[in-house]
Amino acid sequence: MHYAFHFNVVWAHWRDLAQGAWLTIELSSLAMVLGLAVATACVYAKAAGPSPLRWAIAGYIELIRNTPFLVQIFIVYFSLPALGISVGANEAAVAAMVVNFGAYGTEILRAGIESIPRGQVDAARALGLTRLQTFRYVVLFPALKTVYPALASQFILLMLASSVVSAISAVELTAVTNSLQSTTFRSFEFYFVATGIYLAMALGIRAVLGGVYWIRFVRRQGA
Amino acid sequence: MSTFLRRFAIATLAFASAMFAVQPTLAETTLEKILSTKKIRVAIDVANPPFGILDKAGQPDGSDVAVARQLAKDLGAEIEFVQVPSTGRIPALLSGRADVTIASISVTTDRAKAVMYCNPNGALSITIFAAQEVKIKTPADLVGKRVGITRATLEEATVPKMAPEGTKIVWFDDLASTVQALLSGQVDAAAMTSFAEKTVSDSNPSKHLENKLLVTTAFYGPIVRPGDFELRQWINTWLFINKQNGTLAAIYKKYTGVELVPLPTF
Repeated sequence: MHYAFHFNVVWAHWRDLAQGAWLTIELSSLAMVLGLAVATACVYAKAAGPSPLRWAIAGYIELIRNTPFLVQIFIVYFSLPALGISVGANEAAVAAMVVNFGAYGTEILRAGIESIPRGQVDAARALGLTRLQTFRYVVLFPALKTVYPALASQFILLMLASSVVSAISAVELTAVTNSLQSTTFRSFEFYFVATGIYLAMALGIRAVLGGVYWIRFVRRQGA
Repeated sequence: MSTFLRRFAIATLAFASAMFAVQPTLAETTLEKILSTKKIRVAIDVANPPFGILDKAGQPDGSDVAVARQLAKDLGAEIEFVQVPSTGRIPALLSGRADVTIASISVTTDRAKAVMYCNPNGALSITIFAAQEVKIKTPADLVGKRVGITRATLEEATVPKMAPEGTKIVWFDDLASTVQALLSGQVDAAAMTSFAEKTVSDSNPSKHLENKLLVTTAFYGPIVRPGDFELRQWINTWLFINKQNGTLAAIYKKYTGVELVPLPTF
């Protein structure tokens, strides 16, 4: 089997690949921020909320964690319009990614929160901190410090899972690679370069997250 | 024997045996391999009605699948289907996972740079279709509309060229997603083969879908890897015979409901 590699075809389309990579980063970053907010809200509601809300959140987590991401995306993109909600491809992608991350993030945060000794919470309440203040300073941030590696990994997985949104026509890196490979027939070269770009983005995100950890948890010793 | 002579003898013996071992052999052609193993691997796309579909029992069927089965029968080889999505039809062939692809690959000069076409075995047309309410009479009407197309198809190669600046082209990975997008309102219009459109409108009469614009017509044919001249010649011979005896026309009519137009040859 002879195969002549022609990477020059890939470099000729670097602008399209860069645009696709940029959209991946945009979608993933937005989904990370919103997803973390959803996860924090859910974990608080699950710990301190009324019973029906706790059940609803537990149901949501089990549903999302036990179904494929691609199916979730198809439901958001193809089925919501039938209910009258019109969503564009990028909006549907972010929505599905936020919902997906929210479920996994809630479980990760819950593990961190359960590791905080009950005595800390009692001491905080005894000192006069409100429920919300206790949650934020005594429970959430120490928990975040503990589960930061798991959370960072989940963020990276979210960015990699964003490649699936090419199926609903969001023009991110995988979609661009697929289109280019189908018109130039250089599948190996294009997929190889796309893998390299994803690797670079993942390492970049890891570096940024490491920097955030250092700024928030190490430099400001203690809190 | 002196050390030098002994070493020289050993070296010569080693060199001679190496030379015998690395005899340049004539590589077996794909056709020879198919004939000797009595197996032919054919790449098909079963998500592309009516050329490739899955019948009620989940088995591959469709006009090109029927052509492939007949071709394998006449070749005396057992057929092994390699099911690929539309984006995988050419890569499966080029990577060696299939010996031939029979999946309504329309003849284009771009594809001809990467693969070798056999003579055409059918014809199709690409049209843009949409719901009755959507007004599209000329290409200029596409401005501002979202048009869904499937990657690695003839519509991907032709629609972006004929759609004016301002048309929003939306790409999907397979025909099913493109159809879903049209039915759910995510795109205003979609481009696909007229046969696929008929299948979609027939299954969704309430949507009142109709053909709006003809984009292009094309012939399609089987493709083989560059260099597989013997296989290509055999397939062309087979196509010649089955064109003359009406088999190709019968298969085409059975699955598309349309008479086969006279097929040109290269």
